[in-house]
This record gives sequence, structure tokens and C-alpha cells, in this order.
Amino acid sequence: MTDSDVNFEKLVACAFERDDRAPDFDQTWRAAESRYTRGRRYRALSGLAATVTAVAILLKVLAPAPTQLPLIEMGELLGTTSWQAPSDVLLPERQIDIYQDLPDLIESTDGTGEALL
Amino acid sequence: MRDGDALENNPHISRSALEAMHDQVFSWALSRCDFDRAAAEDLMQQAYVELLSGSARFEKRSSLRTFVFAVVQNLARSRFRRLASRLRLVSRYAQEPPAEQMDAGVEESRSEVWRAVHRLPPRQRDVIELVFCRDMTVEEASTVMGVSVGTGRVHYDRAKKTLRNNLRQTVAAPE
Repeated sequence: MTDSDVNFEKLVACAFERDDRAPDFDQTWRAAESRYTRGRRYRALSGLAATVTAVAILLKVLAPAPTQLPLIEMGELLGTTSWQAPSDVLLPERQIDIYQDLPDLIESTDGTGEALL
Repeated sequence: MRDGDALENNPHISRSALEAMHDQVFSWALSRCDFDRAAAEDLMQQAYVELLSGSARFEKRSSLRTFVFAVVQNLARSRFRRLASRLRLVSRYAQEPPAEQMDAGVEESRSEVWRAVHRLPPRQRDVIELVFCRDMTVEEASTVMGVSVGTGRVHYDRAKKTLRNNLRQTVAAPE
């Protein structure tokens, strides 16, 4: 390398000079360690959340499909049961004209005076 | 390397070795961040996090200094790519010469050199900075920049030639 090369390098290098005092190493290192620890914790939590989500999705996907209940024929069902409304006694086919004949209704208690107990 | 000084996830790196080169690496980080100190300090912390976590793992394929410079370079590149930092850098320093305690003649000359450096394409500027200011060989600079040695040499030669031509008219740059 010639002198002119050396001078040229010095000239260019001089242009790069700035106030480049570095911050304290220990301070920078501690900050980096703290950032690293926080990052690890965050990654661990993220991993846990991702695992839980994945397991939930897997359980949902792998869960057995609900079994099909057998269909019941309506005719069969009607033959097995009967039901009568309490007011059926009032219907005309029972030969009771509710406007003429009041059916005897069973009273739960006897009347005492005019009070119905 | 002191006993027990090696990093857990990076056994070939010791804390003391990093401390020894801290100033040089910070200077490089500062340059990567448009000389923004806060950004450079943040970049340094992030670089150390990469080393602590083993995300950037040193396998002794280069010197430790070259490796750490490359880590800083890669982090800065990914961080500032979107911000077009180079554009800001060029506009800032092309118009505002740095204020230093130097006499006016030297200052003017330095600004001219600085403008000439910043007219270089980014990789040429990087290789010039690494070789001229960080005392690296072209091979080491190529490693830091992530290019082959041949490519690094081409960038270096072109940068020198361009700089000489640009400076010839304004500064008495020796041929």
C-alpha cells in the first residue's frame, strides 16, 4: 500500500468520525438479559396458549359424531298412549249441555254457612 | 475466556470477549442507525439478546468480531429496511454537515468526503467503512455484509475508484 493509499484511507475514515462513545457495557448487558428473560417468558406463555388451542381444536375434530337416534313412526306412538283432557266431561258428546245441566262437581270440602272452605 | 464466562447458549462466546469489543461494535451499530444513539443502543441490546438466546450462534467460522458485526448488520438491515433509513441518512447528512470541534477548512473538507461517501451505493459504502474505519480486511467485510469475497472485492475496488474520482475535484485526494 502506497502513502497515497494510506492518506486516502485516512481522509475517508476521518469523514466517518462521530461521537461514538459507547454506553456502559454492564448496563447494556443487563438490559439485554432482561429483554431475553422477558422474551423467554412471553414465548413460553405463547407456546402454552398455542398448545391449549391446538388441543381444543383436536378434541373438537376428533370427538365422535353424535349417534343418530332411531326414528319413531307416528302411528306406533299413538297406539301406545292415550290422554284425556280434564274438561272432556263438558264436551257435547258426553250428553251434557253445560248451559242447561251443570254437572255435579266434586267439592273438596263441605260448605260451612256461606263460606267455602 | 474466563472460566464460567461463556454464554449458556453460545459456548464459544464469552461475556468478557464481548465487553472487550463493545466500543467497536457500538460504533458500527451507530453507523447502521444513521448515528441515532438511542436506536444504536437498542440495536446493541437486541444483538446481545440474539447471542444470549443462541439465535445467532457462533461456530468459529470467522473471528468473533466479524461475527458480531455481521449480527448487528443483519439486525439493522431487517429493522431499517422498511424505514428506508439510507434515504433519510443521505438527505440529513447531505444538507447538514456534522458539527464537530474542527477548524472550518477541515470541516468543509470532511463534509465533502462524507457527501462523496454517501453518494456511493450502500454496499460500496459499507465495505469502505468496514475496511477503512473498522480495520477489517475485505474478506472480513464481505462476511459481515453477507456476500462472497469476490463480490466484496468488486464493491471495494469500485468504491475506491468512484471516491477518488468524486473527490479529485473538491478535495485534494491523493491519487
